[in-house]
Amino acid sequence: MTEPLLSVRDLKTQFFTEDGTVRAVDGISFDVYEGEIVGLVGESGAGKSVATSSILRLVDSPGEIVGGEIEFKGETIFGLEEGDAGELRPRDEMLTETQMRKRIRGREIAIIFQDPMESLNPVFTVGGQLREFIEINRDLDPAEAKEEAIDMLREVGIPAPESRYDEYPHQFSGGMRQRVLIAMALACQPDLIIADEPTTALDVTVEGEILEMVTALQEKYDTSFIWVTHDMSVVAEICDRVNVMYLGEIIEQAEVDDLFYDTKHPYTSALLDSMPRPDKTVDELRPIEGVMPEAINPPSGCRFHSRCPEAREVCREVHPDLRDLSDEGEATHTGACVKHDAFDVGYGDSPAIETETGSGFSAGLTETGGEAE
Amino acid sequence: MGLLRYTLWRLAQAIPVLIGIITITFFLANQIPGDPVEIMLGPSPAQEQVEAIRARYGLDRPAYQRFLTYLAGVATGDLGQSIYYDRPVLEMILLRLPVTLYLTVSAFIFAIVTAIPLGVISAKRRNKPADHVSRIVSLIGVSTPSFWIGLMLIIVFAFYLGWFPARGLPLPWASPADIRGAETQLQVVRTSLYHLAMPMVALGTLQMAQITRIERSSMVESLQGEYVKLARAYGVSESKIVRKHAFQVAQLPVITIVGLGLSTALGGAVLTETVFEIQGMGRLIITAINNQDYELIMGTTFMFGVAFVIGVIITDVAYAYIDPRVAYGDES
Repeated sequence: MTEPLLSVRDLKTQFFTEDGTVRAVDGISFDVYEGEIVGLVGESGAGKSVATSSILRLVDSPGEIVGGEIEFKGETIFGLEEGDAGELRPRDEMLTETQMRKRIRGREIAIIFQDPMESLNPVFTVGGQLREFIEINRDLDPAEAKEEAIDMLREVGIPAPESRYDEYPHQFSGGMRQRVLIAMALACQPDLIIADEPTTALDVTVEGEILEMVTALQEKYDTSFIWVTHDMSVVAEICDRVNVMYLGEIIEQAEVDDLFYDTKHPYTSALLDSMPRPDKTVDELRPIEGVMPEAINPPSGCRFHSRCPEAREVCREVHPDLRDLSDEGEATHTGACVKHDAFDVGYGDSPAIETETGSGFSAGLTETGGEAE
Repeated sequence: MGLLRYTLWRLAQAIPVLIGIITITFFLANQIPGDPVEIMLGPSPAQEQVEAIRARYGLDRPAYQRFLTYLAGVATGDLGQSIYYDRPVLEMILLRLPVTLYLTVSAFIFAIVTAIPLGVISAKRRNKPADHVSRIVSLIGVSTPSFWIGLMLIIVFAFYLGWFPARGLPLPWASPADIRGAETQLQVVRTSLYHLAMPMVALGTLQMAQITRIERSSMVESLQGEYVKLARAYGVSESKIVRKHAFQVAQLPVITIVGLGLSTALGGAVLTETVFEIQGMGRLIITAINNQDYELIMGTTFMFGVAFVIGVIITDVAYAYIDPRVAYGDES
């Protein structure tokens, strides 16, 4: 493959709170290539949104990127080096805050937020907001930017864009506002769009329309996407490759088909089992037991072991890294679970442990979990 | 277009409110123990004299009759006759109102001009030294009575330093002939501003403190809004975010406080005028109450009511102007 458009290496973002350090993103690596839609999947609190705001270097205080590297089109968005006294300092080629603002945000990497109801400014017209961002990021004069804005509104399927241009956000429905936000992102003609759960707040029919529209526009403009979601059906619909996150770590990376049909990590299986699938008939959906532990004090060993139906003694002790689990050839499918042969830590001989899934119930879960392998 | 109709509609709605104010004031004023005529004539007056005066001011008629007469008078712009001054109430009010308005409006301009930058800076540098200073200043401002501030200003700036005069408030458009030591209109304006400085600060401090506090909290909230995150993510500069994106949304609660503050300030003007010996509405209302001058009490209270209603209407209209989500009422 060619050089990736965006390359994230061992990114660590932490929040320094009074209760301690929250390791929201704890050493994740992934790439985005030109023209592909990459999924970032996980439950609430997995660190997906923090990861995306780290890419734009817009982590809110008290959060801070503390390590790793982010490269975008040969530019260093984030990178540290060791100083003379052994302290960590930003590398010389790392973009300054002003450069980030002027060259990257909006212009090269645009973002679509989760909540279309809150993301637009209530006191300015929709067109005015669109025009402002287009002006800033494409160096157009106001008249050209307005024309571009109206064209884009038409492109995302807003009827009568000329008259709706002068309306306020409260006059738009949720789905229409999300279309406006998508128009905003596309109109700035970035190379990468980060979509942070853009359809979560919408109902299913609107979600379907939006996904269809995004797929079509993505092909037309050949823009890359990072699509953040917790919804595996959205992943199935639009993503090319998927990164599954759990508690600040990526625990499985695969192309979308491999992820669905050759699932390697029990957490991914659990996510898949908790949603309806047209290709499998099940009697009932199984939610994932328990809640995600706090990132302030992650469990020892595998972070998922406390909720994992397949957990064994060894899972509590060994913290698995992401290893190649592909059948052959290129490393296209990686996972972080010690039950696979790539980890030689004695999973087979280790006794099972009781987890939050409950003892009586866990037998059944383990059975079907095995089936999924 | 919608805004004009909305304004007219709100003005029309004010009429029943004003009738309510008149009704309550009328019957309350008449319930005050004591008798204006006694106050007027002193102890043990002659019976005929009392009756003559009662008849002259219509006090011998039953309350409901007097009420209806009064209401009809107000409708035609006649607020009655002041017993104490022996002049039409409206004339007295028109004489005093400009002074009070001059003082109140100046105090408000002072409050807004200082409070908004202070609040914005405070929000922008949240929990930093500048914020702490501004919060302490506004806390002191909110909790200090205006008359005390007035007295302190007089002691320091009039008595010890002698920078500003402590008494009276000539209007800037007064004739030079009426102002001692002034020959040209420009000198009148200067004298007027000199007199204005201290009462303006005394009256405006409370407003300034309140507006600063609301401006700060409103800006803090607005700066955390999703639309601010969005603007940041699209490369909008931080100063423009503060000036435009966050600022305009944040002004909505500020407008409410300013509108309500208008009426509070009129109340405060009563005290400020007393401290600085300014012949305004505040002094007029006190004189009226002290002398049980029914018509004057009702007239001045009515004017305060009108001012309050106007304040509320200005608030609503400004709100509708800034916030497109406010429906104009004619849509439904």
